[in-house]
Amino acid sequence: MNTFAFLLNQSVNALSQAALLFFLGVGLTLIFGIMRIVNFAHGTIFMLGAFVGFSVVHWTGTFWAALVLAPLIVGLFGAAFEIGILRRLYGREAHAFLMVTFGLALVVGDVVRLIWGPDALQVPRPAALSGVVFVLDEPFPVYRLFLACAGIVMAGALWLALERTRLGLLIRATSQNAEMVHALGVDVKLIRSAVFGIGCGLAALGGVLAAPLVTASHGMAFAAVIDAFVIVIIGGMGSFLGSLIGALLVAFVQVFGNYYFPDLALAFMYLIMMLVLTVRPGGLLGKEA
Amino acid sequence: MATKSRLTRRAVVAGAGAAVASPFIWTSAQAQAGNTIKIGLPLALTGPLGSVGQQQKRGAEFHAKYINDKGGILGRKIELLVEDTVGNPATCVRKAQEMVERHNVRLFTGITLSSEALAVVPKLAEWNSIFISSDNGDGRLTAASFVPNFFRANTSGPMGTRAVSLYLRDSKFKKFYALGLDYAWGHNSVEVFENEVKRMGREFLGKVFAPTGTKDYSTYITKLRQSGADAVYLVLAGDDNNAFISQAAQYRLASRMALLAEQLELSTMRAVGDACLGMIVSSRYAFTIDNPKNKAFVEMWEKAHDGQPPDQFEGEQWQCQQVFAAGIAKAGSTDADKLRPALEDLTIDDIKGKVHIRKCDHQGVQAGFVVKAAKREGYSHPVPEVIATLAADRVTPPCNKMTYDD
Repeated sequence: MNTFAFLLNQSVNALSQAALLFFLGVGLTLIFGIMRIVNFAHGTIFMLGAFVGFSVVHWTGTFWAALVLAPLIVGLFGAAFEIGILRRLYGREAHAFLMVTFGLALVVGDVVRLIWGPDALQVPRPAALSGVVFVLDEPFPVYRLFLACAGIVMAGALWLALERTRLGLLIRATSQNAEMVHALGVDVKLIRSAVFGIGCGLAALGGVLAAPLVTASHGMAFAAVIDAFVIVIIGGMGSFLGSLIGALLVAFVQVFGNYYFPDLALAFMYLIMMLVLTVRPGGLLGKEA
Repeated sequence: MATKSRLTRRAVVAGAGAAVASPFIWTSAQAQAGNTIKIGLPLALTGPLGSVGQQQKRGAEFHAKYINDKGGILGRKIELLVEDTVGNPATCVRKAQEMVERHNVRLFTGITLSSEALAVVPKLAEWNSIFISSDNGDGRLTAASFVPNFFRANTSGPMGTRAVSLYLRDSKFKKFYALGLDYAWGHNSVEVFENEVKRMGREFLGKVFAPTGTKDYSTYITKLRQSGADAVYLVLAGDDNNAFISQAAQYRLASRMALLAEQLELSTMRAVGDACLGMIVSSRYAFTIDNPKNKAFVEMWEKAHDGQPPDQFEGEQWQCQQVFAAGIAKAGSTDADKLRPALEDLTIDDIKGKVHIRKCDHQGVQAGFVVKAAKREGYSHPVPEVIATLAADRVTPPCNKMTYDD
């Protein structure tokens, strides 16, 4: 394998991993930006997405349906959780949210175990994406190429939605000054429910997309929640662009780091985080601290 | 009205909470009597190796029910105490200690990770407890870290690796590479494999270790492709095995080199499907092992589990508890001081054939198996097909050792 083929191969691969990390991180950061709460259940929601995706594939026989339905179902569940429980806690201190979302993670984790059983489940790739393309004689899975494209398209679509639509405007406004938005006659409660639902839906989308790579498993939750936090801390809490940069940074450093220094595989993500926190305590694009 | 509905909702939430909290401590139905034989199982039920712990739990419960339905051992029923350690050695020691102090447990089995077992064994003398391993692979447990109250009923990591390497002596593969999980078991097995390859006079090109819980295996797959090896030896388990095998198939790795593995559970074969076809694996137990005891066991198991055959660690856990039961019956007691000599030199003939617990290092001397992931009529997923059975005396290392002389 020549150097150029290797670099190209690994770069596209890093992009595909960045896409998964981005779906995780952007949901968490949106939720934090609007509500100032840290959603400890985010990894579990990611896993829930993978398992719901498994069932949708099972019922409908197509992965594409899972890509749409699983995030929708999980997003509605997230919104319902916000309306049913979180909404009652906004006057409380931050640790109330910590406890409640942590509790949600435990409950959902065990419910998934009850419904789908303890073992990992196979979520097959759609036939159209199960081949390989040859990059200078080296096979590269089409599915990873698809992941990279999905990440780019979704990042663009989300950016447009946040910058160009009325809902996006309201979300940005609410994250800056919720009282003022409320005073202007906007239903802030609805915005919060919507954002919590969207955040959960994005995590679930990440879960469905990750499932063909790692199978739908209970272990996904724990790893994902840590990844999500690291990305958001690197990018800056509440920053959309920050989560995008954080995801790209972590993915590229991890892919190339793992290759050249496999002994440090576990450390890379945290090393970047430490470095960023030392230079910019609020994260790369964070406004606070 | 509003108050009423809120109360109801709270009741529902509380009920749901209680329902969720209750599975954290499982005890069998006979918990009320003080005269049960208590066996403690601190298992990694969650975490990356959760699927292994879950298998051990199912195997243990199935065996306990089987014994209890027959009236127990020495007229006493078996009571299992199961706790989740998440695969963390410190948690495992703490949970085991709690079982000793609060529930007077003196018998242990099922500790999932070798790193957990290595943390527990130094405490066994203090707890006056016997621990029979059902799955711990690390060779040190019966070598450098051996303690008198530890027994190993299962095939160890070195034994599994040995079985594959004996099989490979007759194979066409010349150049090998190894990929292992970055903890005690992975390093130990890769080391044993490396020694075996060198002793065979073939080339060992290199090795790499991945942290437990790795999601993206592409860089490791790239390394394997670049290595020029014609076979790779994999020491992976649980989620890592699922992720690696799925991704290796997506990268068409099998077209470049043969995939050999120390472990491939049925749960993994179900989770990855056809991606594992053709893999050659050292098996500690396969439900396709051809002997009458095993056939009867598989039939009994499938009847109780909706036709699903028993997986590797379910079989190993069963065998381990058969050793426990035979030892207790022979000793006429569960006292560590009486049970220890009874277990030494004990032989049982069970689902894997003869198992002899030798006195010198408490390792169960037993046959080794090499299987291939293959399709089989009546099963929707690949199953392990036994392609070689290796004699116990060739597979088991010399006393207190984890390497072989020939």
